[in-house]
Amino acid sequence: MTEIKNAHFTTLQGAYDTELMEATLRIRRWDPDTQRARFDTFTVTVPVTASVLDALDAIKDTRDGTLAYRKSCRMAVCGSCGMRIDGGAALACKTPMKKFVDAGHTITVSPMGNLPVIKDLVVDMAPFWEKIRAVKPYLDTKDEEVPDTEWRVSPEHHEMIHKESLCILCGCCVSECNSMESDPDFLGPAALAKAYRFVGDARDTDTRERLRDLNGAHGIWDCTRCYFCNQRCPKGVDPRDAIAKLGAESFKEGFVRDEGARHAKVFVDSTYKGGYLRETELVPKTIGPVNAVKDIPFALQLARAGKVPNPLSPHKAKDNDEVKRLWKLLEKEAKGAERPRAMHPDAVREG
Amino acid sequence: MIRHDVIVLGAGCAGMRAAIEAKRRGVDVAVISKLHPTRSHSGAAEGGINAALGNATEDSSDSHAFDTIKGSDYLGDQDAIEVFAQEAPNDIYELEHMGAIFTRAADGKLAQRPFGAAGAPRTVYSADITGHVLIHVLYEQLVKHEVKVYEEFFATQVVVDEGRCAGVIAWDTQKGGLHAIEANHVILATGGVGRMYYGTTNAFACTGDGMSLAWRAGVPLKDMEFLQFHPTTLKSNGVLITEGCRGEGGYLRNKDGDRFMVGDAPNAMELASRDVVSRAEWKEIADGRGVDGCVLLDLTHLGWKKIKTRLPGSRELAIDYAGVDPVETPIPVRPGAHYMMGGVDCDLWGETMVPGLWAAGEVACVSIHGANRLGGNSLMETIVFGRRAGQAAAERVLEQGDTGARIEPGVLADEDRRIAGILNNDQGERPGLLREELAKTMYDKAGVYRTEAALGECQEKVHELRERAKTLKLDDHGSVFNTDLTNALELISLLECADCLVTSALARKESRGAHSRLDHTERDDETWLKHTLNWCDDGEVRLDYRPVTITKHQPLARSY
Repeated sequence: MTEIKNAHFTTLQGAYDTELMEATLRIRRWDPDTQRARFDTFTVTVPVTASVLDALDAIKDTRDGTLAYRKSCRMAVCGSCGMRIDGGAALACKTPMKKFVDAGHTITVSPMGNLPVIKDLVVDMAPFWEKIRAVKPYLDTKDEEVPDTEWRVSPEHHEMIHKESLCILCGCCVSECNSMESDPDFLGPAALAKAYRFVGDARDTDTRERLRDLNGAHGIWDCTRCYFCNQRCPKGVDPRDAIAKLGAESFKEGFVRDEGARHAKVFVDSTYKGGYLRETELVPKTIGPVNAVKDIPFALQLARAGKVPNPLSPHKAKDNDEVKRLWKLLEKEAKGAERPRAMHPDAVREG
Repeated sequence: MIRHDVIVLGAGCAGMRAAIEAKRRGVDVAVISKLHPTRSHSGAAEGGINAALGNATEDSSDSHAFDTIKGSDYLGDQDAIEVFAQEAPNDIYELEHMGAIFTRAADGKLAQRPFGAAGAPRTVYSADITGHVLIHVLYEQLVKHEVKVYEEFFATQVVVDEGRCAGVIAWDTQKGGLHAIEANHVILATGGVGRMYYGTTNAFACTGDGMSLAWRAGVPLKDMEFLQFHPTTLKSNGVLITEGCRGEGGYLRNKDGDRFMVGDAPNAMELASRDVVSRAEWKEIADGRGVDGCVLLDLTHLGWKKIKTRLPGSRELAIDYAGVDPVETPIPVRPGAHYMMGGVDCDLWGETMVPGLWAAGEVACVSIHGANRLGGNSLMETIVFGRRAGQAAAERVLEQGDTGARIEPGVLADEDRRIAGILNNDQGERPGLLREELAKTMYDKAGVYRTEAALGECQEKVHELRERAKTLKLDDHGSVFNTDLTNALELISLLECADCLVTSALARKESRGAHSRLDHTERDDETWLKHTLNWCDDGEVRLDYRPVTITKHQPLARSY
């Protein structure tokens, strides 16, 4: 054992040395007893390395013990402390205070959106978990004989669901989802990313049934593609990309009847034919001719407001052959990408 | 009155694995957790989970067992370690079949990486988010098996009726109110107690609740002086940087750039056992060869690609909480309180001395880890012993039926008065400030190195804090989501566990594993090759001892 020289050896000198700063936060409070909201502003002394969560802790420990928020890991993996910081959802533990302090900016902290508030920054996550449960969130290998050892999955196939596997179910994407704001029954970005985690899993054999369900009401085609979920996700899951992958898988399985799927297909067909989107075909082909006729008064209103393009203009690309070549190239590539399949170890041995 | 066959307290890896096993065996099981299951701290485990699959090189359960025994500094019970090492591989395959997303080797098998003090690359992993992957796959199975979960319920008492487990009393955090939830079988799976230390890798939720519940219910806590310090934690908030960083080839350097591990572990170097590395770091820092109270974890030579593919999570943590990108700059790290080797005394199936009360995972002390745990063994313990506890409790229900143990109305009324007393009090000190005082006391006086004098002062302080914590000032007297109340309850658990730790540490006059006494620097097998038991004697700690189970391996000197 090395000889010990320092007399204060049980204690590390400078263990708590840290530079401090004053942080100011404006917090939206919600009192569950009176059902009333108010804003409180606090200034607390915290280390320069403090996160927004550390600042909330300083308030709770020294100023106001009634402040309610969720927390646990403080390292961006448990997903407890999702809240709105200056109006956008983020993990409080992953948001450093210093940049705001340096800018002389008082941040406003409020609960996540699209979920009912219980108290202060705590929201009721029950609707969130309901959506997760709705996508059958577990591996289904159906009647496949379970091997004695592990399923064989190539590193490339494993990589296909890497981003979705990073999801910590914090709800930041759901908080900012535009579709959920208008349709609370929309499955939403978190549940759909979870769904792709199984659709893309080489071991799962329930793909067709999963895609059929996801093509139903409030499913993948209800996403408005606003990309707020990608923007607000603290873990780089990119839920909108997962939804796009589910759409592509749905087409491969022949699920093309949903309005949303038909809408997407018009884009594809129209660009193939003319290199441009023909807006006049979009509505009838998406919602059907009968419904389109019903919508004629609305179309006329739009036309009067100058919102309808001239239906008689040719609207065709100059060199459409090049568009077609590109299109065929993409099609070939998509066909080459077979669905990944896990191998039974016995099959590997026989092969 | 709510009633189930089996209640699992805690919903981390051990708790969920236990619940799934009990449910599969056809009994009525419910999980009670103060957090939503996926918020549990198992999810923060990074590096991996050990099983002798032999996918990377030849390996055997015997070798896994021997490494674990040696790592435990011979304090681990060898019968338990043998069961553990033998059952680990099948449990890994089962996790894989459930859907766990483990990193794959080129042949499609599970990849295995080297970890500290292991004789072969034995650690199955998922990049550096292994715990995250496991917590989510187990939650998926919980949903699949439709296990009832009482989410955000805080257990305040384990009720024992005529010597048998009768269930728990729990506070509904979301709505307020105490509930008696009866069950003949309660499996404690509440995790660790790292929050009693200032520098800790543990989540805020790791407050030793289950240890304290068992202790008060008359079950001894075992080997509580053995608290592992992880060698690579960040100064700012204690966040852990995985041992996988060293497994992938990272170096530890002092301020002069020297790889100082050459002094204490010339062969294993950075991959020596965690207690050895933590002590070496502490010495460098205390002797003035550190940088701002830290040493440097250098990954720069690994290159961008390896860091990005194998250690992306660690890179993100270093950038977020230390302000350095490890691709370019070494990460300042220091030892931080990480894992409680000790815990609720139980047998190989997890059962305690109170029939019907079981324990699994970090809350338990089977004992697998003895005086020092090897990296990658804790996740494996949660799965092997979580499954075993779930299986054994379910079998007992099916064999025995109702034991007749009940929670009498008077017991609930008494607990209601106790909780109301805490809830309504507005005199005294705030729980948060007392917690910080405790945490600094423990880090300064019962840390990596210990002495009679420092431990004595520590004990005195802990006793004083326990006294002061009898009247805690709460601002919040409401019933809905009152975290002022749960903070106070957690502080009481922390203080009781701290008392057990410091009392055991003061008594153990030797150095073994994570317990390093500067005034007793050698391991003393003649006197101290035995487990410490902490009994609750009317709220005071009473010590007792029990022999270690040795099967094949007589204690040897431990060097790396």
